[in-house]
Amino acid sequence: MLDIVSIASDCTRAGRLAALGFLPGRQVRIVRIAPLGDPISLEMEGQEISVRRAEADLIEVKEVG
Amino acid sequence: MNPDPAIPHKTRSTLRKNVLGMKAAVAAPPRPVRIALLGNPNTGKSTLFNRLTGLRQHIANYPGITVEKKTGAMVIAGRQIELLDLPGTYSLSATSLDERVVMDALGGRSGHRAPDLIVCVVDATNIKRNLFLVSEAAELGIPMVVVLNQWDAAKRNGFRINSELLADRLGVPVIPTVAKRGQGLEELKKVIGHTLADPHRIPRILWPEFIDEARDIVRNGLAEFDVDVTGPEALRMVFDTDSAFADKIGHKHRVASLLNAARDRIRSHGMNPASAEAVLHYRHLDALLEGVIGGDRRVARTRNSMDALLLNRFWGTIIFFGVMSVVFQSLYAWASPLMALIQAGSKWMQEAISPLLAGTPMIQSLVSDGIIAGVGGVLIFLPQILLLFLFIAVLEDTGYLARAAFLMDKLFGWCGLNGKSFVPLLSGYACAIPGVMAARSLEDPKARITTILMTPFMSCSARLPVYVLLIGAFVEPSHGPIIAGWTLFLMHFVGAAVSMPLAWFMNRCVLRIKTQPFILEMPDYRVPTLRNVTIRMWERGREFVVRAGTVILAFSVIIWALLYFPRPESVAEKTREAFLAAQSATMPAAEVSRALADPESGLSMKLAHRIGGAYIEQSCLGRFGKALQPVFDPAGFDWKITIGVLSSFPAREVFVATLGVIYNLGADVDEGSTDLRAILANEKWHDGPRAGQPVYTLPVVFALMVFFALCMQCGATVAVIAKELNWGWAIGAFVTMTGLAWVAAVVIYQIGSRL
Repeated sequence: MLDIVSIASDCTRAGRLAALGFLPGRQVRIVRIAPLGDPISLEMEGQEISVRRAEADLIEVKEVG
Repeated sequence: MNPDPAIPHKTRSTLRKNVLGMKAAVAAPPRPVRIALLGNPNTGKSTLFNRLTGLRQHIANYPGITVEKKTGAMVIAGRQIELLDLPGTYSLSATSLDERVVMDALGGRSGHRAPDLIVCVVDATNIKRNLFLVSEAAELGIPMVVVLNQWDAAKRNGFRINSELLADRLGVPVIPTVAKRGQGLEELKKVIGHTLADPHRIPRILWPEFIDEARDIVRNGLAEFDVDVTGPEALRMVFDTDSAFADKIGHKHRVASLLNAARDRIRSHGMNPASAEAVLHYRHLDALLEGVIGGDRRVARTRNSMDALLLNRFWGTIIFFGVMSVVFQSLYAWASPLMALIQAGSKWMQEAISPLLAGTPMIQSLVSDGIIAGVGGVLIFLPQILLLFLFIAVLEDTGYLARAAFLMDKLFGWCGLNGKSFVPLLSGYACAIPGVMAARSLEDPKARITTILMTPFMSCSARLPVYVLLIGAFVEPSHGPIIAGWTLFLMHFVGAAVSMPLAWFMNRCVLRIKTQPFILEMPDYRVPTLRNVTIRMWERGREFVVRAGTVILAFSVIIWALLYFPRPESVAEKTREAFLAAQSATMPAAEVSRALADPESGLSMKLAHRIGGAYIEQSCLGRFGKALQPVFDPAGFDWKITIGVLSSFPAREVFVATLGVIYNLGADVDEGSTDLRAILANEKWHDGPRAGQPVYTLPVVFALMVFFALCMQCGATVAVIAKELNWGWAIGAFVTMTGLAWVAAVVIYQIGSRL
C-alpha cells in the first residue's frame, strides 16, 4: 500500500488524475505492471485504473508501514 | 435557459454570438422536452439509452468535431421527449473542442439547447467517483435524476447502498436499475415524468470564498472585453489548465494573465489549482456519502484469477494473440462465403436485369455496371463490419478489450496511438472500412484520428491479388518460390512500417490537439447480452449503409461514366476491321466469318475483348491515363499501367480485371491467370527512349507493388473517413497517401533501375 502525498504538478494530466480520485491522503496499490513494462495498473478506493508511467510519475507517494 | 439574469437579454444574445465564436441557443420555440444522459464511461449509459429509445435513434457527428452525437426519441406520460446520449466522461473538464461537447450541450452553447433534465447514470459499484461528475454538473443548476445502474453487480460485490438516504442527501430522485436486463426502467420513466412536472436540483457545492473570488476575477475580467461567460464556464477556465473555453476567446495574453491571477488566488490558499476542484468535490462527497454505502467490497474471486491469467506475461500474451487471430480469421476467411454470396447476388441481378434493358445499351450498362455493381460494392463490406462489431461488442462487454489494450499499449504509445488501436489496425489487414469504424472505441480524439488515418495503410485483402499477380509473374520465375513467398509476406508490412513513423510525426507536428493521458479503467468481467450485441451490430451496419453507402454508390456511378464515355460506334468498327484484316492474313475469310457468326467461339471472344480494350483506351479514364502517363513515367509505368492504377482509385480490387481488359483478355481474368502473366512478361515499350525493352522489369514491379501498398485506392475508405471525421481529413489522407505512394514508387524505380 502506498499513501498519496501529493499530485506533483498543475498540468492538465494532473487534473485528470485528481478527477478520478488520485488525491493526497488516499491510498493506492500497484496491482500489476503490463508485460511490456508499461502501463501500470493501480487500485484505489475499490477501483482499478491503469495509467502510463508518465502519468503515474505525477503521483507522489510514500510507502505505508 | 438564462443563467445570468443580470445581463439584459438582448445584450446577452448579441454578445454570445461573438463569444467563443459560436452561436448560442436563444429563446426556444416550443419543442419536445430535452433530456441528456450524463455519465462516466462503462456505466451502461448506452445500454440504458438503447433500452429507453429502442431503435428510434439518430446518429450524427457534432459539427466541426469528431464526436458522435446520438439522439433518440421516447414518450413519457404523453410528452414527446428527445433523449441525448452525451459521450461518456469522467469530468466536465475540457481541454479540447471534443471534450467541450458535454459542457456545451449542458450549458446551451454552440447551437445546443440546454436540457430540461439531466439523467445522471452512476455505476453503483463505484458511486463516489461517478458522483464527482454529477457534483460538477450540479453547478449548472439543471434538474436531475440519478440512476444507480449495475445495481445487481453492486450487490454481488458486497455493497449495501441506501438509495433513499442518498436521494435525501442529494435532493433529487435516485433510481436503482439494471439497464441490461431492463430492470427499474419503468420506475425511471415514471420518475422522469414526475420530475419534469416538479423539478428537483442538486444544490451547488458551497465553494470556499477564494474559489468564488477566483471565478469572479475571470468573469469580471472577461466582461471588460465584452466577453460573457457563465459562472460555471468561468469556473472551468479556472480549474482546467489548457481550458478549451479560454482557447476560443482570443485576447490570448490578457486571458492568460487573468487566469493566472485567478489561480494565484487558489495557490495562495495552499491548493493546487489543477486538483483543487477534485479535492473540494471529493471532500463534499465524502461527507455526503457518510452512511450511504455499507458492506465490504468483495472483489470477485473470479476477477482476480481471470486477471492473473489474462494479464500474465506468458499466458496472457498467448491468449491475446489467440483471441486476435480468431477475430482476424473471421474477417479474413469466415466473411468470405457471405461476401461471395453478395457478389453472386449482384451478378445474378445484373444478368436478370440486363436483358430487359438490351434495347438501350447505355442504360443497360449504367444499371448493371454502375448501379447494381455499386450497391453490391456497398453491401460487400457488411459481413466484415457486422462480424467485427460482433467481436468488439463481445470483447468490450466482457471487459477483455480493456485488458487487451493494457497488454498492447506499450507497442503503440510511442507514436501517439494507444493500446486500443490494436483492433482497428488488425482489422485493417482484412479491410480498412470496419477498421476505421472500430476506431470509435478510442476515447482520446488525438489517438482516434491517428488510428483512423493509419488504418488504410494496413495491407488489406484487396491488395493481395495485385501482389500475387506480380510476384507470381516476375519474382517467382526468376528467384524461386521461397523468395517469392517472403516477398509476399514482407509486402504486408510495407504500409505498417511507413505508417508508424508517419503517426509519430503527425502527433508531434501536425495534429494540433492536446495530448490526453491514457487512462484505462479495468472493469469487472461481465457476461454480454445478446440484445446489446445485436443492437451494436445493427447500429453500425445501418450507419455504414446509410451514411457511407450513398457516397460509395455515387463513386461507383461516376467511375462507370468515366470508363463508359465517350463511346462512338466507329471505335468498334475500326477495331473489327483491323482484327478481320489481321485474321484473314492467316486463315481463309470464309472460316473467319463462320467463326465470328458464333458469339461463343474463341475468335468472337477475342474480338469482343479487343473491342473492350479499344473502348477503355479511348474512354475519359483511358485518355486521362494516357495524358497522365508522364507523371508516372519516373516510376517506370507505361500508359497501360497508368490506366490500371487510375481505374483502381475507387477500389483497388479492380486492378487485375482492368489489366485483363487493357491487354485484351476480358475482365474475367484473375491473379492466377497464366495468360495475363505471360502477356505482362512479354509486354514491351512501343516507343520512347525505352522502345523494345520489357515494360515489367523488377524495379517497375516493385515500384508498382509499393505504390499499391501505400496508396489510398479505395473510395469506400475515403467515404468512411469523411463520415467518421470529416471531408478535410478524408481528402488530406487521400492526398498524403497518394503522394507518398508516388514518391516511394519513383524512388524504388530510380534506385532499382540504376543498380
